[in-house]
Amino acid sequence: MDREKMVEELVKLVGKENVLSSETDLYLYGYDASLFRGKPDCIVLPGSTEEVSKIVKFAHEAGVHVVGRGSGTNLSGGTIPTQGGIVVHFSRMNRILEIDIENQRAVVEPGVFTLALKNALARYGYVYQPDPASEKVSTFGGNFGENSGGPHCLKYGVTTNHILGAEVVLYNGDVVHVGGKTLDNPGYDLTGVLVGSEGTLGIATKLILRIMPKPEAVKTMLAIYNTLEDAGKTVSAIIGDGIVPATLEMLDRLTIKAVEESIHAGFPLDAEAVLIIELDGLKDGMERLAERIMEICKKNNVREVKAAKTEAERMQLWAGRKGAFGAIARLRPNYLVCDGTVPRTKLPEVLTKVMEVGRKYDLSIANVFHAGDGNLHPLILFDERNEEELRKVHLAGSEIMKLCAEAGGTISGEHGIGTEKKKEMLFVFTPQDIGAMKKVKMAFDPEDIYNPGKVLPEIQE
Amino acid sequence: MPKTDKLFSKLREIIGEANVIQDPDKLKAYAIDGKKPKVIVSPGTIDEVSKVVAHANQQHLFITPRGNGTKMGMGGIPKKIDIILSTSQLNRITDSDCENLTLSAESGMTLDEVQKSLAKVGKGYFLPLDPPFTEKATLGGIIATNSSGPKRLLYGTVRDLIIGAKTVFPNGDIVVSGGKTVKNVSGYDMCKLLIGSYGTLGILCEMTFKLLPLPEKEATLLLSFAKLEEADNFVREMRGSQLIPSSIETLNAIAVQKMKYAISMPPNGNYLVAIGLEGVAESIDRQIFEMSEIGKKHGILEAVTLYSEKHQAFWIAIRDFSKGLTEKCPNLISLKSNFLISKSGEMLESYEKITQGLGIDGAFISHAGNGILYSYILPAKNFRSKIESLVELIGKLTFEAMKNEGNLVVESSPLSIKKKVDVWGQSRSDYLVVRRLKEQIDPGGILNIGRFVGGI
Repeated sequence: MDREKMVEELVKLVGKENVLSSETDLYLYGYDASLFRGKPDCIVLPGSTEEVSKIVKFAHEAGVHVVGRGSGTNLSGGTIPTQGGIVVHFSRMNRILEIDIENQRAVVEPGVFTLALKNALARYGYVYQPDPASEKVSTFGGNFGENSGGPHCLKYGVTTNHILGAEVVLYNGDVVHVGGKTLDNPGYDLTGVLVGSEGTLGIATKLILRIMPKPEAVKTMLAIYNTLEDAGKTVSAIIGDGIVPATLEMLDRLTIKAVEESIHAGFPLDAEAVLIIELDGLKDGMERLAERIMEICKKNNVREVKAAKTEAERMQLWAGRKGAFGAIARLRPNYLVCDGTVPRTKLPEVLTKVMEVGRKYDLSIANVFHAGDGNLHPLILFDERNEEELRKVHLAGSEIMKLCAEAGGTISGEHGIGTEKKKEMLFVFTPQDIGAMKKVKMAFDPEDIYNPGKVLPEIQE
Repeated sequence: MPKTDKLFSKLREIIGEANVIQDPDKLKAYAIDGKKPKVIVSPGTIDEVSKVVAHANQQHLFITPRGNGTKMGMGGIPKKIDIILSTSQLNRITDSDCENLTLSAESGMTLDEVQKSLAKVGKGYFLPLDPPFTEKATLGGIIATNSSGPKRLLYGTVRDLIIGAKTVFPNGDIVVSGGKTVKNVSGYDMCKLLIGSYGTLGILCEMTFKLLPLPEKEATLLLSFAKLEEADNFVREMRGSQLIPSSIETLNAIAVQKMKYAISMPPNGNYLVAIGLEGVAESIDRQIFEMSEIGKKHGILEAVTLYSEKHQAFWIAIRDFSKGLTEKCPNLISLKSNFLISKSGEMLESYEKITQGLGIDGAFISHAGNGILYSYILPAKNFRSKIESLVELIGKLTFEAMKNEGNLVVESSPLSIKKKVDVWGQSRSDYLVVRRLKEQIDPGGILNIGRFVGGI
């Protein structure tokens, strides 16, 4: 269908002001936080479920692809319209529909920012636990699509453990409700399958979230190390001792340098690595647990462990962690974030290998990641204008995924497969495994309307 | 040679003579809702499962998977059973990595076997699941039926604990999903699809779970109340507090009486709230104190604490409530309702009223922190003459759950009731996707047909 006609039809559905199609718009909605680029045919900004349904019904009838989009913080090219089509942008559907304290649920539209809900819950003494680093702007639709993680997911689980239901628009515009405010509804767990499906199975127009009372007590510590290896060994040892803190985050030397230059979180510049260890829950026994952790740190040659004495100090440490990606972006024009995840016991050995890959290709790698989950984030720094460097970056990224897979891990812990890691899916899955996933795609979206060309690699059937 | 014999000789070829049972007495014992299988097969490896399933798919033989048979009464009436595929010989721990807090095991192992083995490692670990009949229930059955217990309040359910699975799909493909990392977004989360799918999409063969270290200390706090309103107000305050109980169960007087753990309730005691606590030692003592104080505000009659063996025995009695009950009451009907958490008190009240109104005894146990209520309907004499009123009762109870955004599932009942109700409750708008998934994954329609939602 030609673009003019498409725009004309969509304007009838949502109004002129809610359809964008200038060259600038098409450029702006053609990229996300990954290294990929695409170009949509147009962008629509629906204001209601009904409008989304109409848009999708139109797209289905016209045989046009549909790609859902929140704030575009996606790190694997999941929101790139690689085959054109309509980008459905959820900035207008950004209402918190309900905060239902007595049922411990919140209902939101997909365009709500993660932090906006957290701020709204704070006055009730409630929290929504998952905390992606981009929570200031990351939307719930995006969290749902990507099954986002974050530091506190170590103890509380990732997005999928906190989304209990959704209103979903199917490929033909039909609207269904999956899950609900109540638990254990009969039928397949469609909510569970939709979360993390990267917009390839359906578009959520409403999400039902689990919220819980804020923990009674919290204690945050900064452990400072002279070697990256000792920090890694500490992480394995804490989990190996059966302690699951609320967070167990690691930042290496290069990250610390970048963070201190921009955010001043108070990380020592001469350290090779720091760990941010947070405990939360009941106040009882927390000091004793903190001491056990300090013992483990000491056994693994920690230089110093500092505890945040005030909430302001704690917030400062977290500002350093959450601002790390942004800070690193100041070092070189571009970075590629890897997301390989390994069993926690393999962390020290895999970290060493990651740094070897950096040396092999003569690339700088900064590490800032969810160590307690075994979820690495090596950031490979480069300048995309240097084609030779860019080529090496892709090779190094793939090699890191390979070594994570070989260590019994996987290629993505929380950023998704998107456009970027499709080929590498075969590091961890057989064609039969992929074939089974394709059946799920066929059941939800038999005509490949939604986000085509993502997640699943081509296989010989 | 009759045609069926030819089909089954291939099974003998795949898994060996000894693992194919056609003895009529055994077949009769494995019947479900009166439907007898033609053969029982017990493959010893995942490869064998794959070959058996592929063969059945080619020959269009109906398969019903089975672990230890604790849940065979659940689900709808099977359409037809040719093969019962028993997982009894898939019973190995394949990867115990307590230092990573993960464990992989085959589906035929019982949860008890797994827990016993984990308790012996280092300072001791466990898989934080406490569904009914753990000494018999297999991992595969627990996952396939999404079975859970009181501790779900703290630890969640199977969907929060499983991180990987190896499944044989109806075409015989061995499909791996997830892995042994606690975070994983590589491809679709196929594990979620299999949880609670009643073996209609694939045969679960091996799973990987998240583990936790055994808690330092455990205890039970039992609080008795005269009025449901008081018990409910107490539970409400519990739910909104920062205290962290592992379970909150509310029982009515009949449930307390019928339970296989003797509790002497005070004279006016009509409701029991049982709170499970586990964690660091200091937290247990303080929570018992604070909860008892909160209880006083809401008119508790008595507070009793249980430790060690008594604590364990109490929770086993709650978990396995229906065990033994069926012997005394062969027409027992077990129902599971879900609803909004805040409606726990109202639901229990309406369920008691409805059963009393029909002159039927009902034991009720509510996961009061999760919005789940188990009802055990105990029809007295003249069961046959009461079938109509029991069907009416199930309809009324379903309606109450639906008013509160929930539903009602008949977990077990005499066949005469099963024939007259939809055991899966009211159908939902997402059923069309559920059906399409079944059609895509099992186009030949061979896996456990008839027992799942909508007759799938």
